[in-house]
Amino acid sequence: MSVSHVPTSDAASPRLVANRVLVTLLCAGLLAAWLLPFATMSPNRLASGQTVGLGEALSAWQLSAFLALWAVLAIAALRRPLPRGLAHGVVLLASLGLLLITLYSLGDYAQRTLVERSPSARVSQGSAFWVMVFCCALAAIDAFQRASSGWLLRLGYMLIAGGSVAMLFASGHFDELSIMREYTNIRDKFADQFITHLVLVGSALGPALLIGIPLGLLAHRHVRLQGTLFSVLNFFQTIPSIALFALLIAPLSALGNAFPLLGEWGVKGIGAVPAIIALVMYALLPVVRNTYAGLKGVPPATVEAARGMGMTARQVLWRVEIPLALPVMLSGLRIVTVQAIGLTVVAALIGAGGLGAFIFQGLGQYAIDLVLLGAIPTIVLAVIADFTLQMLVVLSKPASTRR
Amino acid sequence: MSVSALSRAPSSRRVLLIALSTLLIALVLGMEQLAPLFRALFPDQDPAMYQRESFLNLTLAHLALVLVSSLISVSVGVAAGLFVTRPAGREFEPLVSTLAAIGQTFPPAAVLAIVVPVAGFGFVPTLVALVLYGLLPVVQNTVAGLGTVPAQTLEAARGNGMSAWQILWRIELPLAMRVIIAGVRVSVIINIGTATIGSTVGAKTLGTPIIAGLVGNNLPYVIQGAVLVGLLAIVTDLAFERLEQRFSFGASGAAS
Amino acid sequence: MIELQGLTKRYGDTRVVDDISLTVEQGEFCVLIGPSGCGKSTTLKMINRLIAHSEGKILVGGDDITTLPPERLRRRIGYAIQSIGLFPHWRVADNIATVPRLLKWPSSRIAARVDELLALFQLDADGLHDKYPHQLSGGQAQRVGVARALAADPDVLLMDEPFGAVDPLTRDTLQAELARVHRQTGKTIVFVTHDMDEALRLASRVALLNAGQLVQYDRPAELLVAPANDFVRDFIGRADLGLKLLSRRRVEEYCRPAQRTRNNAIASAPITWQVDADDRPMALLGGRLGESDIARTVVNPEWIATPEMSMKEALSRMVWFRVTALPVLDNEGRLLGEVTMSGVMGHRS
Repeated sequence: MSVSHVPTSDAASPRLVANRVLVTLLCAGLLAAWLLPFATMSPNRLASGQTVGLGEALSAWQLSAFLALWAVLAIAALRRPLPRGLAHGVVLLASLGLLLITLYSLGDYAQRTLVERSPSARVSQGSAFWVMVFCCALAAIDAFQRASSGWLLRLGYMLIAGGSVAMLFASGHFDELSIMREYTNIRDKFADQFITHLVLVGSALGPALLIGIPLGLLAHRHVRLQGTLFSVLNFFQTIPSIALFALLIAPLSALGNAFPLLGEWGVKGIGAVPAIIALVMYALLPVVRNTYAGLKGVPPATVEAARGMGMTARQVLWRVEIPLALPVMLSGLRIVTVQAIGLTVVAALIGAGGLGAFIFQGLGQYAIDLVLLGAIPTIVLAVIADFTLQMLVVLSKPASTRR
Repeated sequence: MSVSALSRAPSSRRVLLIALSTLLIALVLGMEQLAPLFRALFPDQDPAMYQRESFLNLTLAHLALVLVSSLISVSVGVAAGLFVTRPAGREFEPLVSTLAAIGQTFPPAAVLAIVVPVAGFGFVPTLVALVLYGLLPVVQNTVAGLGTVPAQTLEAARGNGMSAWQILWRIELPLAMRVIIAGVRVSVIINIGTATIGSTVGAKTLGTPIIAGLVGNNLPYVIQGAVLVGLLAIVTDLAFERLEQRFSFGASGAAS
Repeated sequence: MIELQGLTKRYGDTRVVDDISLTVEQGEFCVLIGPSGCGKSTTLKMINRLIAHSEGKILVGGDDITTLPPERLRRRIGYAIQSIGLFPHWRVADNIATVPRLLKWPSSRIAARVDELLALFQLDADGLHDKYPHQLSGGQAQRVGVARALAADPDVLLMDEPFGAVDPLTRDTLQAELARVHRQTGKTIVFVTHDMDEALRLASRVALLNAGQLVQYDRPAELLVAPANDFVRDFIGRADLGLKLLSRRRVEEYCRPAQRTRNNAIASAPITWQVDADDRPMALLGGRLGESDIARTVVNPEWIATPEMSMKEALSRMVWFRVTALPVLDNEGRLLGEVTMSGVMGHRS
């Protein structure tokens, strides 16, 4: 029963707008396009540039396509004439189209402009560009939620959208953009740091799972352990990342100095080792907590039935408890993976490398493109990891309860 | 947290809170007294004490940053959570919840970095990043907390003749308060950490000696900053834990 | 008095309540009953405007309910639902004081009213006043719910399956208590349930609903002896119609004067009660099933009847203790009369 029944006459006139969220997004997008710069143009890498509006940056056909897609979305937001189901489909297609037009136009503008200018001139994306990309993504997400579509459709859409954007990048369409020129300059270093980032995350997750899952089992079996265990792990989680990284430097460098052999293996104050140790400490709480919560969520009747049918304790654990606890355990993995990707950024401050190195290097030089080259891939990485592991969580559930 | 942890907790946790806050205050005010210790531990480091700024000033600046950003986050976040749970804004609820969930996968340090091109260096970009990031858990928990109020309780409130405002103030907010405070706790703790990183974009915080130490290869600086900010976070967390317990009503409080 | 006139509720094209007209007189205990989805709860919630009606009219105490602001209307009408409807962050006393506080009564009057209600529901012991809902038993929580509904002394009380979530034993006690409170206060009550025994026990009138329509609105006895159609008959349950009827009857309706004697000599009547000096029954002479008429059976303190007891229960005791008669006792335990097997058979409503 809905709580929102308002005692009015039932003959209340049907609203004109069916999707107020979409209307809000469309207004925000249009307002941004009108008021904010779509791109900036500067004579060289360091000088501040002049701003360029949407009308100036887009060619005639791009502008008309942009407005046409905007109008299609506006119509889809109305109650008539499109039936609801069709409207959601239209929104999904049109918002993807709008996203691609926005991206294409920016690259195209950079190409057109820089032909006429000195080679040191730079074109960067402006705030209107970001707002529009953001609004397109939100419109698509909202349409998926309204259509309450299955995960397969969402996955397919994500792949198509991601694929199209990747193709634009691969075709060299964006090469004239300032950020991509910066990328070309550091291409090799970028690949190295990207891999370092992944390796750091991976080498933290392994030990975290190896230690965390048994601890979770232990907490489940021995109730009295829980209080102490969880408060200790919560302490780790509470200490700010940079402080924890920093606090590990002193003992590890002392250790490295005392035992030169350890020092040769990389155990020293700065670098990968303190980073990995800190990441593991952070990862333990979610792993332990979700292992524990997953096991606790297994219905006692199921465990009793399994015992009653003559399973040994080990069989009960492996055939009944762990499979049933798996979705919750996997969402723990999801939390720590996303968290580790983010914390590894900070690890760059203690010399562990990774994408954070670009961020802090860029901040030091006030090279915004370099900062973005570190920040955007990290965010994309975190979002992809989140999405992928969410899919895994869905798949790990019994088929009947998937949504 | 587990039931047994809670039932045992109050007295020992309270002692811990008092002890750690005392330690924190003592260190903030009297770090200089430890100079001989640092000199003994790190004989090679010439200035073994961070002296460019007093630790009291750094702590206050850090707290001001977190406090201001949290005040903004909480007021905007709770308002947004309330809006999307009222009839007028319910349509926005799925999108806002998804946004809050996806937004929290963004690394705080990356958010901080992205704000710099827009807002420049110093106090302001750090504040903006803290506000943006701190909003998300507050919105999420406000929506979740209001969602935990049983439909029957709301129906009883309406059936007894309460107006929408009375239901919100007397029933929904008090019952959702524990979950909302849990969201504020997450938000504040993350912000204490992010504010520390804020020193890399020029904000004056407890992260400043850490960064200075890392850049200048001065381990004592690093330790002095890190110990203070770690203690600050833990003390804040313990204080919020106590606050949350005040708002647990019966079974709903002990269950989570 | 509550009047429903052509009351209809539509959701889209479906009519969940379809043209219901009925009048609940002052002091009446009206039970709305029917299979799930029949529209009984919707009908109830339209009376205090928790749900807006689509067509028709509802009058409460002669006023059209749409002429009042909904909050004002609801403060005039008591409303009780399953125990979970208590506000978990308020103590028992605060819960009961909900509506008086909304009506801004002075605090001394609120305190007095709370105490009065706690006493009425026998909740005044054990410092219950300051307990929180999660500290209450199911039966206590339910009593608090009803007490809260009565707090501002409304003329009308709406109850939506209030005893749905309690165990059968507690429910029995609660029903008895509600019946007592109804007798004592004379409130007009509209009560939704799906339990026919509950309806027959409590109602002075039963409205049987099916698929949004009113099938029969009658006194419980009429419903049993003159069901309007097969649906009513099936819903009541054909198998134990007779017993259901007896559950509506009270012992005092069947009570006859009893033969009594001070010694254990067999009197002329087939059933004679031996009483002591205070007129308390000590033994039954004769009347024991399967024994000769001259048997003397000591009165068991459990096989007695009281005037308020239902005949169904009296009959059940006779069967269980294998006697053909029960002594009917007054409050002091004195013999008022007797009910007998043959008396049950001979009586017809």
